[in-house]
Amino acid sequence: MLEITDLTVAYGGVIALDSVTLSVPEGSITAVLGANGAGKTTLVRTISGLVKPRQGSVMLGDHQLVGRSPEAIARLGVGHVPEGHGIVSELTVDENLRLGGLWRRDRADQRVAIDEAYELFPPLRVRRSVSASSLSGGERQMLSIGRAMVARPTALLLDEPSLGLAGALLAQIMQRLSALVVERRLSVLLIEQNARSALSVADQAVVLSLGRVEMSDTAERLAGDDALRHAYLGF
Amino acid sequence: MRLFVIYTLDGITNGMVYAAIALALVMIWRATRIINYAQGAMAMFTTYIALTVIRHGAPYWMGFVVALAAGMVIGAVTERVLVRPVESRPPLNAVILSLGVLILLEAIAPMLFGGQTQSFPVPVSNIDIVVGTTSLPVSPFALFTVGAVLVAMLLLFLVFQRTTLGLRMRAAAFNPEIARLLGIRVGRMLTLGWGLAALLGALAGMLAAPSVYLYPSNMDEVLVFGFTGAIIGGLESPVGAVAGAVGVGLALSYVSGYVGADLAPLGGFVILIVVLMLRPQGLFSFGRQRQV
Ligand SMILES: Nc1ncnc2c1ncn2[C@@H]1O[C@H](COP(=O)(O)OP(=O)(O)OP(=O)(O)O)[C@@H](O)[C@H]1O
Ligand SMILES: [Mg+2]
Repeated sequence: MLEITDLTVAYGGVIALDSVTLSVPEGSITAVLGANGAGKTTLVRTISGLVKPRQGSVMLGDHQLVGRSPEAIARLGVGHVPEGHGIVSELTVDENLRLGGLWRRDRADQRVAIDEAYELFPPLRVRRSVSASSLSGGERQMLSIGRAMVARPTALLLDEPSLGLAGALLAQIMQRLSALVVERRLSVLLIEQNARSALSVADQAVVLSLGRVEMSDTAERLAGDDALRHAYLGF
Repeated sequence: MRLFVIYTLDGITNGMVYAAIALALVMIWRATRIINYAQGAMAMFTTYIALTVIRHGAPYWMGFVVALAAGMVIGAVTERVLVRPVESRPPLNAVILSLGVLILLEAIAPMLFGGQTQSFPVPVSNIDIVVGTTSLPVSPFALFTVGAVLVAMLLLFLVFQRTTLGLRMRAAAFNPEIARLLGIRVGRMLTLGWGLAALLGALAGMLAAPSVYLYPSNMDEVLVFGFTGAIIGGLESPVGAVAGAVGVGLALSYVSGYVGADLAPLGGFVILIVVLMLRPQGLFSFGRQRQV
């Protein structure tokens, strides 16, 4: 369970998140929707420790994440697929994947986890020893998601994973992701511009607007209610 | 012809010492985007430490090992204590800082070790090898110099390319933010990177000292020549830096042999200025932009 309570973040004097409260139960996906500049990326960067909040708390299970370094938070089981994939383009595909699990003690399981990532994204296996800089946009996204999975996270933060992915492939990835969420009891925070696709896989949905939680409901209700959709998502 | 061979072998030998400095500069540049102008002074300092150990009756090899270890410690401490606080500041802060370390070390050295020029021992003879009645244009110490730098480079290559520690260090240097998100303790990796670079510098210091002698600014020229090699190599490329530095060693050796020994240091500066004017990004770098 990932629980965010009363989280406020400011860049200089500008408030980017204003008392945000939301939770992501185990084995479920919470979609975070909102216009450009709503504060979605700020939210996940704060959870990961890259941005220090002004106030509020982020609990992963029994651990308070606020105040910890990004590397410590990663080691507690938070996987972060950053906006614009964030692969290390100077390294090979395989090296990128290995990086995901290097902090873990269990060497044998790291290899198993890397193999699972290749199974999840077969195009990566073919390109395992080429430089990550030669990957297509979609392949980079696969690499970034696969690399986060290698760490066997308990919480997964996906910042616009659909960027650069073709529709059919996106649907396929989302389907696999949903299966993993149930199987591994993952808490997933899914940021998406494309509300329709996000709502189709999410359990809960939160709409951010100018740093505030505008509304929060089950994904089903939000997707099914025309009035809500029009009001908050504009489709 | 025999002179040409002599100058060439001399050039390669000196060039390998410059290459060790060049590689150290590249390692630090890649890890922290800082040109470590104190690289030579750190090497001078560790060479003094080696000399002190040897003067107290320890064998050369003990001094050798102590100097390498001291280099590792000085590099790591410099990163942790001095560089870390300015890492997020404008690059000029880091430049001033590394110049400050250079001045500081050159000021402390004479207080601790005395300011006069001292000779530094060699582990093997530096007189040309004689086979029968012909003398070969190479000494055992020259062979040792080239061999030691090659072995150090090979070990570093293996650490960086073949170990998970090396993978972590590369990730930390290339993309610190992503590395942190993957649980890598980037700070430790950068500290270690500085330590390894200074270790390589310490090696260069001990290999240079028998010929340039030991005094507080004895590595200034070696630093300029190594820096020139690193710039020719594009500052990003370890292979380029080594090739560039050996090239500088050869050029200086020919200038000093055919034109005049007094002109060699001047030649080094001329090469550096010409390279900086022609290609600020180096000759081996192909404008590969780094993404942040
Ligand atoms: N490093 C920063 N310094 C100052 N302001 C920032 C910084 N990062 C983001 N902001 C501001 O904070 C607000 C929220 O930005 P954020 O990136 O979290 O939005 P977002 O919802 O992810 O947008 P998008 O959909 O475009 O990715 C914006 O007004 C942005 O300009
Ligand atoms: Mg964003």
